[in-house]
Order: sequence, then structure tokens, then C-alpha cells
Amino acid sequence: MVELDHTFETGKPADYNWEAILDLDRLIPCVEGGRVVERTSEDQAKAEIRVKMGAMSMTFVGTVSVAEQDDAAKRAVLRIKSRDSGGQGYANADVTFRLSDGGGDIHTAAQITGKAASMGEGVVHSVLDALIADFTTKLARI
Amino acid sequence: MAAVVGPDSGTLTVKTGKGGAAAKAGHNLVIEVTSWRGSFDDGSITLTADSGSLRVRSGSGGMSPLGDEEKAGIAQTIDEEVLKGGSIEFRSTRVERAGGTLAVEGDLELLGTTRPIAFDLTVDDGGRVTGRAIVKQTNWGIKPYSALFGTLKVADDVEVLIDAQLPTEGDRDG
Repeated sequence: MVELDHTFETGKPADYNWEAILDLDRLIPCVEGGRVVERTSEDQAKAEIRVKMGAMSMTFVGTVSVAEQDDAAKRAVLRIKSRDSGGQGYANADVTFRLSDGGGDIHTAAQITGKAASMGEGVVHSVLDALIADFTTKLARI
Repeated sequence: MAAVVGPDSGTLTVKTGKGGAAAKAGHNLVIEVTSWRGSFDDGSITLTADSGSLRVRSGSGGMSPLGDEEKAGIAQTIDEEVLKGGSIEFRSTRVERAGGTLAVEGDLELLGTTRPIAFDLTVDDGGRVTGRAIVKQTNWGIKPYSALFGTLKVADDVEVLIDAQLPTEGDRDG
């Protein structure tokens, strides 16, 4: 299990941030290489993320769902379950958003197996940290 | 009379390393320049290379071996995202011979930027020239290629190797 914490700023009111985060069609493309394959319900989508490594890439396909939603506290947990389309591995994560006026914070708890994990937990941590940091810069414009 | 060398009489090779937190995911590359021309004259050396002619020959390290498709993909990335069809030209400003060693100084133009560079060449009795130069990409304004959100980077220092056979006197260009 890899756990990471990040903050982000939108400069927008908490209500705006809350609505934006829960709109999976807007949120998922904020992950570099991420796209919605099919919006299956209001709180669930089939999605994929393609991670480029120079000429090579890994694609994870799966679901993103709103697992917990506390409107009053503006706290939501998004659950990601995905498989490496070209291998045996999977990448699952619970991403907890706590929103306030101006932005929010993100706690990520991820479990990754297979080829990606074979690089070692330190590498996985660094890459995820960089991926989420990039995600937060895109959230600033959501 | 200049002695001219090129792909028919030698190899011009580029070796790249890798860095960053996810360096394990990347490959050390051996890349061959397949279109180039070197000219050796008394006290003067020039070399030009076609930046679109780099081909990946092998890669070591990384999560999985490099296949032909990946090698072609990397060559395309080098062409389109790094070198972008830019110029590669070296012209010596000073060549000092000490036995079989030539201490060479000169100007290297890479993608429109010219900077001084120095390296040694060895010429054996049979006319075989070998040598190695280090090119620090950022000195020429080239941002080293990176992937995985910047956690995997090509090392700034790139090694360039030449191994060529000078033509015999009778074969030389005028």
C-alpha cells in the first residue's frame, strides 16, 4: 500500500469544487492519460489511463466510482479498480477528497501489482506522487 | 587532400543513460547515426550528421527488453520531439597531434546552437580513428527527454563515439 497526501487550489468556492470533483466526466480527464470510456451511472464510470514511458506505455482499464459521499463535510472517496490491459497486474486506489473554499486536499491509498510494481515501492511512490501532483495542477483549472 | 569517412567506413554511435526516481523503468540506449560524413585534413576536422538518421540498436536495463517496435518508436521520438530535424555540425578550431593522439578543440552546432567542445581522437598506424566526446545536452539548449511525469529522464550527458577507417592515400578525395 502506497499512501500520499497532496493539496490543490482552485480559487473557487467549496460548492463549485464539490460539484466539479463529483462530475467524473470532468474529473477523470484531469489525470494525464486518463479518459472516460463510458459513464455507467451518475457516480460510476468505466475509465482507462495510459501511462507513457517514452516509446512504451502501460494502459490500466477499470472503474472509478464514488464510494463515499458526505455532502455536509464535502468529503468524498473515489474508488479506482483497474487492471493492466497488457499484463497480470492491477492498480487500485481509494482517493479521498476534502474540499473547502479555494481548493482542498487529497489522500491517496493505492495498491499496485504486476510489472509496474516490479520497479519497487520507492519508484511507484515517486511516479504516483508526480502523477497526482500533475493532477492537482489540472484541478486548479477544473 | 581530405580523408573522408562515413557509414561505409565506420560507425558514429550515441550512448544515452537515464536518471530520475523511476530510472529503473528506462533503458540505456545505444543509438547509431546512419547518415554522417567526417573529413580529416591536415590540422582540420569536420563532421556533419543527419539528425533524422538516428536508429536505436540496443537498450539495456528497463522493465522489459526493447523490441523492434519500441526501438523504432524511440527513434521516432528522438526525431520528432528532441532533434526535430535540426543541424548537427562540428568544425575544429585546433588540432594538436601527440604521437597517435589528436587533441581536438572546435565548435559543435546542435539544432542551431554553437558551443565549444574538446575531445581526443586516437589514430593507429593502420589509419583507424577512434574517439569519444561527451555532449551535455543542456549546454546546447536541449531539454533532456523525460517521461513518467518527469520521474524518468535521459541523462544530460550523452556519449558520442566514432570508430572509422581512414581511406588509404590512393582512395582519398581531392
